[in-house]
Amino acid sequence: MTEPAITARAFFEKARAGQLTAIRCSSCGELSIPPRELCPNCHAQSWQPVVLAGDGTIASFTVIRVAPRAHAADVPYAIAVVQLKEGVSLLGRIVDIPLEKLVVGLPVRFRPLIGKDLTTSVGFGPA
Amino acid sequence: MRRVAVIGVGVTKFGLHDRTSAELFAEAARDALNDSGVPASAVQALYYGNVVGGETEHQLHTGPQAASVLGIPAVPTTRFETACASSHAAFRHAVMEIAAGVSDVVLVGGAERVLNVSTAESTEYFAYASDAVWEQPLGLTFPGVFALIARAHMQKHGTTEAQMAAVAVKNHRHGALNPKAQFQKPITIEQVLKSAYVADPLKLFDCCPFSDGGAALVLASEEVARKHRKPIWVLGSAAASDWMLLGDKRDLSRVPATERAAAAAYRQAGIGPTDVDVVELHDCFTIAEIVATEGLGLFEPGAGGRAAEKGLTGLGGEIPVNPSGGLKAKGHPIGATGAAQVAEIVTQLRGEAGPRQVEGARKGLTHTLGGNTATVLVSLFGRD
Repeated sequence: MTEPAITARAFFEKARAGQLTAIRCSSCGELSIPPRELCPNCHAQSWQPVVLAGDGTIASFTVIRVAPRAHAADVPYAIAVVQLKEGVSLLGRIVDIPLEKLVVGLPVRFRPLIGKDLTTSVGFGPA
Repeated sequence: MRRVAVIGVGVTKFGLHDRTSAELFAEAARDALNDSGVPASAVQALYYGNVVGGETEHQLHTGPQAASVLGIPAVPTTRFETACASSHAAFRHAVMEIAAGVSDVVLVGGAERVLNVSTAESTEYFAYASDAVWEQPLGLTFPGVFALIARAHMQKHGTTEAQMAAVAVKNHRHGALNPKAQFQKPITIEQVLKSAYVADPLKLFDCCPFSDGGAALVLASEEVARKHRKPIWVLGSAAASDWMLLGDKRDLSRVPATERAAAAAYRQAGIGPTDVDVVELHDCFTIAEIVATEGLGLFEPGAGGRAAEKGLTGLGGEIPVNPSGGLKAKGHPIGATGAAQVAEIVTQLRGEAGPRQVEGARKGLTHTLGGNTATVLVSLFGRD
């Protein structure tokens, strides 16, 4: 039995320190951000952690105006799917970019978001 | 494998109710049994869809709960949860149980109750169908998921907010012909376009409502079905799944699970999209109908918005979609929706849909999507 190359918990600990990590399949080179046991491309079981630059562009975005209870105080806020330059995509909260400036293709850069409950989530700010 | 037919259908009115989901299911199931003429003693299994019973009603174990309230407590009962596609998943498994020769008569259904909690609470509970570690902490909502899909579709194909609004107007026009629908009033393009943004570019009138309601179906083997009136045959029933995380989906303008489930269902039935006369599909948001009409092969990728705007999907159009009013106007009690869609197609193929009847409909399709597009079921139906 071997430990996973990276767990979700480890991903968010590194993210908190400003580092965006992914895993690369040692067999076929497939890149993935969320940790998995099997490569979805070739089903190999051999991942290596890799550090991503954190640079990407907005693939799609929305401005949430009716929020779940825990986020009601934040509205309006933007969420985007960001395509990172290494090729993988990640959903994140947009921070420090005026909502009216948001367009598909806008360059953005990863930054950690520390919640009031001290949990870490994925944010993207100006490039 | 044996042929399977739907021989009874029942649906409650959708909207606000002061009854539990189990009671709503029981009303629909009583109507479905009466419609079929099969005695309750003949039912050999119940396959049941319910999604947020744990959250809104503090009720788990909702399968036997529903069977007990109906009055058939000893029937083996299983609850299915595939988000908004739950009772379509229940339906498919019931079809397989009969096709395999295990049972001759199976009851299928689903119910949901959410209007007993606030919109903020139900918004949160529905968001539980997205990923709890990677997506929920960002404040993602279901309108948000489909807003991301809408933006991608607009970017890739030039789809407009007016084209999406045309879907809402059409489905409200159909809903006005359905006495069970939550909304029975026509609306205008201007009303849709002027409604408040919920998750840009989706506005309030692009979204289906929160709803309470129940639906039920009686399924039977060919031998049993031949003894009853107007059996509607299940020609195919297929499921497909896809990535949970939006970031893992390669092209947000498409729903690959719809394309895969449709291909499998068409293959089982030996027919193609041009053979289908009437469609009930999952229009939880207007963009969802546009993307589904493309994924089901009714229109080319990117052509769904223009087709809606031209009226090709309205009653009397090239391929009528959601004559019931769809989720948009009929309502969307999420555990009941898949079964309710089948009930509408069965009613259409029997020729009993009254003012919303698609004339001469011989083959119909139902399409139900779960949550963040990670679950899709497609089934095909035909009459003798």
